[in-house]
Amino acid sequence: MPPAIATHALTRSFDGFTAVDHIDLAVEAGQFFGFLGPNGAGKSTTIKMLTGLLAPSSGAVQILGQDLFYNPIEVKRHIGVVPEGMALFTRLTALEYLRFVGRMYGLDKATTEQRAEELLEFMGLSDQSRKLIADYSHGMSKKLALAAAVIHGPKVLFLDEPFEGVDAIAAGTLKAMLQGMIARGATIFLTSHVLEIVERLCSHVAIINHGQIVAHGSLEELRAGVQARLPLHGAADPENSAEANLTLEQIFLNVVGGASAARPEQELTWLS
Amino acid sequence: MAELETPSPPSPHAPAVAWTPTQTRAQFAAIAWLRWRITVNSLSRRGGAGELAGRAVTTLIFLAILILWLGGAGVGGFLFASHAHIYRIAWLLWGIFLLCQILNIQFGQRATNFDPTQLIRFPMRAGTYVEIRLFFGMLTAANVTGTLMAAAVAGGITIAAPALGLYAFLAMAAFAAANALFSRMIFAWVDRWLSTRRAREAVTALLLAFSLVAQWANFTFNPAYNNHHHGTHAYQLSQQHQAWVSHLIQSSGPVLAMLPPHLAAASLTAAEHGDPLRFLADSLAVAAYAALFLLVFALRMLKEFRGETLSEAADGVRKPKTNSAKLRPASTAVFTQSALWPAEPAARASAPVKPAACQSRLLELVVTVLSKEILYARRNMGILYGLLMPIFLVLIFASRFASLGNSALWTFPAAVGYSLLVICPLTYNIFGLDGPGVQIFFFAPVRLRDVVLAKNMLGVVLAVFEIVLIFLLIAEMAGVPSPKITLATLFWAAGTLALNLIFGNRRSIASPKRIDPQRVARKQTSPLSALISLAFLILCAGLAVLLYGLCFSLHALWALPLAMALFAGISVAAYAQSLRSMDEYALQHREDLMREICKLG
Repeated sequence: MPPAIATHALTRSFDGFTAVDHIDLAVEAGQFFGFLGPNGAGKSTTIKMLTGLLAPSSGAVQILGQDLFYNPIEVKRHIGVVPEGMALFTRLTALEYLRFVGRMYGLDKATTEQRAEELLEFMGLSDQSRKLIADYSHGMSKKLALAAAVIHGPKVLFLDEPFEGVDAIAAGTLKAMLQGMIARGATIFLTSHVLEIVERLCSHVAIINHGQIVAHGSLEELRAGVQARLPLHGAADPENSAEANLTLEQIFLNVVGGASAARPEQELTWLS
Repeated sequence: MAELETPSPPSPHAPAVAWTPTQTRAQFAAIAWLRWRITVNSLSRRGGAGELAGRAVTTLIFLAILILWLGGAGVGGFLFASHAHIYRIAWLLWGIFLLCQILNIQFGQRATNFDPTQLIRFPMRAGTYVEIRLFFGMLTAANVTGTLMAAAVAGGITIAAPALGLYAFLAMAAFAAANALFSRMIFAWVDRWLSTRRAREAVTALLLAFSLVAQWANFTFNPAYNNHHHGTHAYQLSQQHQAWVSHLIQSSGPVLAMLPPHLAAASLTAAEHGDPLRFLADSLAVAAYAALFLLVFALRMLKEFRGETLSEAADGVRKPKTNSAKLRPASTAVFTQSALWPAEPAARASAPVKPAACQSRLLELVVTVLSKEILYARRNMGILYGLLMPIFLVLIFASRFASLGNSALWTFPAAVGYSLLVICPLTYNIFGLDGPGVQIFFFAPVRLRDVVLAKNMLGVVLAVFEIVLIFLLIAEMAGVPSPKITLATLFWAAGTLALNLIFGNRRSIASPKRIDPQRVARKQTSPLSALISLAFLILCAGLAVLLYGLCFSLHALWALPLAMALFAGISVAAYAQSLRSMDEYALQHREDLMREICKLG
């Protein structure tokens, strides 16, 4: 069975600057995949290339075994996207927007209508159905964008910072929904700066830094890899065996070099 | 890493260092620099050179018009002063005042290319904030125009009566200050009143309705459009209207005499009669108006400075509208079985694609996108105005021309040409209103070709609607145009629209312009695109005239519809061909499109 998402030497340059540099990824079907990296590392550029929003300079992308660039229509039928900026039409109401998106994905009217109402109910937006999206708060817009991304029942879901600006209650609802999708066999590719969420949800993680994949694997594999790089003081001190439970934040800082960076508060002495 | 060599942090109990005038001046300079950089950066993006050229042309046109206005104001001042009718300068000043307000509405507050209310987060005094808002707000094209026109009036008076020169410039300076401060005051309060979208749209609807009625009244009653028909009903109405306006002006005289334009004119009359005290009193009255406008403006700015929040979100918090009976916590909602949503699209994808299914999907997509476009238009007063106003104007023009009775040959083609003049530029920015939503056309399983086709349908529907209305109107008022001319015009319109769509679609993708639906969208496209559209229309009109001339000189007018049909056929075929390559073109330029359309603010 081919991977749900596969890239080969995927590269993107902007006027001489290489934002994404020959990355090879393989995300198996059914994985909840976290894609991490510091600001400007190339996360959004990658996700844009994976969803057809941005042309790569070179390389290939396959979704569910089909080439994104040769079979874009077929690939896009199976993917859902919450992109950066959310892709909302702010002059529509939520229901109108979901109807529009459903039809764009080729759903028939009855199915679109039923799913739109169901999604609005699920997201707690059904009482706001007459309000224009322009008048929505950021969190409400985020929930609507997610609803639009799943209305056609995608097999692969791409989420760019889906929990940004979403309150704790709504975040819980969304997580439950996403985990439900995983349980039913969907694949989710998620970027987030909230590492606790990624750690709780994702089974596999890739870390991108300066446009290159610097770590890729299951959380356990990443932990083992980082442990191998750490000094052996943990072994000498059994009480420090907590290294065996390195948090994703610790792994992330170790991999991208955050631990070795100077602590800013020590440098900016003029800060009171 | 070495520590930064900076002074130790001050003790929390140390006395605060006083804010200095130098720091305030630095803030002014920083804001001026910010605005300059925003302007320069907007030109240096890709395609900026073309936009700069387009903007340069429109600026030159505006400057030419401005010179005419200045000349008119100067000549007016000269004539009134030289013919001892200096009190009539009041009407000149009312004209300048109205023009200034109209320009302010038309151009909007373009100079404020960043949100100035954000400045309150910086350490600045309330007075400085008011000064900054005032200073940068005064530099709008409308205020500069009003001030220059007042100076031109003073110049004209000085040439006619050099002894009045000093008085004239003092009086006009007071008037110009009152004029500019009035617009600042009004705009500051209008921002407050229109802080919610619904209020904005309601007021916009009223303004637009007023504008339409004014256009209608102008064409219906203005003698300039009824010169040759003294016996007509419209002419009689025009006379009645003039009498009514004269009566209204006379009865409102005492009130008008207390307002700045009349006061400024009265001060000049006093100076002409050698009464400097009266001149001083009237000029001080004008200055007092300016001070009052400044005070009201400052009060609004001080409220802003104290952090008054004007936004939809804040409004929503203040007046929560909840229906407790309907509310249901999101967490208690459950997905029914359909949430499993078996991958229906996948099933469809694996099925063999039949041509009929393709056509049905295309039709479905066109209807979906077109429905969205119509919803957008229906819901936004600015867009609706942009779409309906041309129709309204064309109908008025057509009815005027048709009523002349002797223009059956040219009325229909001319009216259709005018309608295309307005519709064609719209096709040069078909994604302008979509905002970040445009991304969906790239990640949904649709062909960009089909999306573009659907969006083009809006232009076609508008054109058909307008042409049918024009035809019916002209047929009613001047008789049915000849079949040859009608057919030739229809074919010409089809060919011209198709040609414009070919280039408009490509410009829409490679050089789009983001339109903020919150504002009255008079400028639906970039200046360069508007110029290209105009050039195409002129070329097509030239071709039509050439073909007509040829057929006429050969005594073969019967061939005109055939020639135009050939033109339409070639254009439509070229359009169809261009659509075939639209997917590839859109993919190549998607970054240009999204960079502009998805940008923030």
